[in-house]
Amino acid sequence: MLNQDNFWQHNKAVLLFALVALTMPLWFPIMGGYSGLDTKIMIFCIFVVGFDILLGFTGYLSFGHAAFFGISAYVTGIMLKSFSDNIIPAILVAVLAATVVAVIIGLLTLKRTGIYFSILTLAFAEMFDSMAMSMLQKWTGGENGLTGMPTPMLFNLKMQGDTVFYFVTFMAIFLFYMAKRIERSPVGLMMKAIKCNQTRLEFTGINARKYKLLAFVISAVYAAIAGALMVVYEPFVGHEFLGWHQSGEVVIMSVIGGVGTLVGPMLGAGFMLYFENVLSVDLGEQWLLVLGAIFMAVVVFMPGGFMEGIARLKKRYFTTVDGE
Amino acid sequence: MDMTLNAFTLSILTGLQLGSIYVLIALGLTLIFGTLGVVNFAHGALYLIAIYLAVSINNALGFGLALIIVPPVLFIIGVLLERGLIQRFYDRPHTDQILVTFGLAIVLQEFLKWVFGANNIPFTIPAWGNGIIFMHEYLPFLEGFVVYPKWRMILVVVAIVTVSAVFALLHLTRFGLVIRAGMRDAEMLQFLGVNINRRFMVVFGLGAMIAGIAGVFGGPVTQVSPEVGMQLLVPSFLIVVIGGMGSLGGAVLAGILIGMAQSFTAPYIYINTIIIYLITVIILLVRPRGLLGAKGVFE
Repeated sequence: MLNQDNFWQHNKAVLLFALVALTMPLWFPIMGGYSGLDTKIMIFCIFVVGFDILLGFTGYLSFGHAAFFGISAYVTGIMLKSFSDNIIPAILVAVLAATVVAVIIGLLTLKRTGIYFSILTLAFAEMFDSMAMSMLQKWTGGENGLTGMPTPMLFNLKMQGDTVFYFVTFMAIFLFYMAKRIERSPVGLMMKAIKCNQTRLEFTGINARKYKLLAFVISAVYAAIAGALMVVYEPFVGHEFLGWHQSGEVVIMSVIGGVGTLVGPMLGAGFMLYFENVLSVDLGEQWLLVLGAIFMAVVVFMPGGFMEGIARLKKRYFTTVDGE
Repeated sequence: MDMTLNAFTLSILTGLQLGSIYVLIALGLTLIFGTLGVVNFAHGALYLIAIYLAVSINNALGFGLALIIVPPVLFIIGVLLERGLIQRFYDRPHTDQILVTFGLAIVLQEFLKWVFGANNIPFTIPAWGNGIIFMHEYLPFLEGFVVYPKWRMILVVVAIVTVSAVFALLHLTRFGLVIRAGMRDAEMLQFLGVNINRRFMVVFGLGAMIAGIAGVFGGPVTQVSPEVGMQLLVPSFLIVVIGGMGSLGGAVLAGILIGMAQSFTAPYIYINTIIIYLITVIILLVRPRGLLGAKGVFE
């Protein structure tokens, strides 16, 4: 099946995503989305697609991915401020820094089973949060956040408005394509086998830890790219980038959309940011309460998220009679 | 480290007091985890309910009523949550349990924020608990004049009483025997014809009730604002991990250890903010099952 080079079959989802994403400036304002929110949605699409490689494929629920997002954002900010206003070296150094941290945290936390892992990743992220607020205050700006960055440049191109949107969107399309490639690859199969039955996988002589660490680091790289792009999008880094709220948001997006489907979490990211920024106008302060309730309802009644909902609807309305 | 005996004693007391809150939260967490196998991300939110209920009743009707009403109400809330929500998740993957309790935590926190506002509500300490204790009158080795807030000492006593009561319940009663057997092997217990589900319900209620007791006495110390729940949950989780998942004695030991560590590193702000994580990492590397964790349990 892998040899069958059916380009359309393999890349249908990526092409569809590209079409939807690139035309976003045309249709998104009609829905009430303001310019800039589409960029933010694309950034979080990157974050959650990476997160799904960990949660969706291996089944490991991290509550600390804000660490990689935040560390990368801080490093990007510091690089833009004190090294060069060109975003390329800034993003590269930031992603590298976050990757190193991810390898260390991954080695420490992946020794443990699912529950332990969730608690420990949460703890590590909180540790970086409190470090940013105390000992690293000189570089991070503490409570006030990191400000005073120059306008980010892509060589001679000013990163503002539409330029940022298309830059981010092309990154998102490319990274979604890569995630799809990983899903189809033997490595992706190993990752999914960990979720299915890790013990059995290990009995076949395969080193499951290697694949867990790989999934963890890949997802951290995606988070780091998202974090760096966040600074390019808006030259500010606050310590809430590192907080559990941020990690929790990504978990909510993934679960609402549909864990393990790659597309689902992106739907979830779009839904949540749209909900937070557009629909919240009517809900006021209580938007998070409503969102929390939606999230719980999804976990209880529709564990597969929106994607399961879509599949159910399809089954109900589009199955032929002889299928019964 | 140059430290006088007075300063040392005060650090011990502060460590005990910090540890008391942690122990009370972690005790419920580890009890629920040990018996039901559920990691309750909403435990901080249960504490939040407790402090808001306690502060409302206390400021309107007095502390005595808060003490009588809040823990039983929390017990009932715990039972209702277990029946209505948590029990649907026993057969689902652990990650689903974490997700649903996390969602519950958000809903409860945001609801309380909506009702009571985001700002701290002052918790009036009853007259008999107000003021300071002259420590030098009780501890003759102290030099000169040493005082400590009375309420914080009361909190330590409450924690000791609560922990003792829980241990007595688990080790001296038939109910406790069944629960401990359930912690070891729930399946076997069911084979023997014991209705473990009803006990699960009671245990969840008990865990919530301990959070209720913690809220009544801890509210004045931890403040009463919506962030408190999550702020306490993370260290409490780590205490459960350090102590050994599901080990009650471990939770008590680790709670005091973390309280002491935070108290004694207080002058060194950089170490103080990360000491709890450092200890967790060291424990994780040296003794992955935690201080008193049973061999093979979530190792």
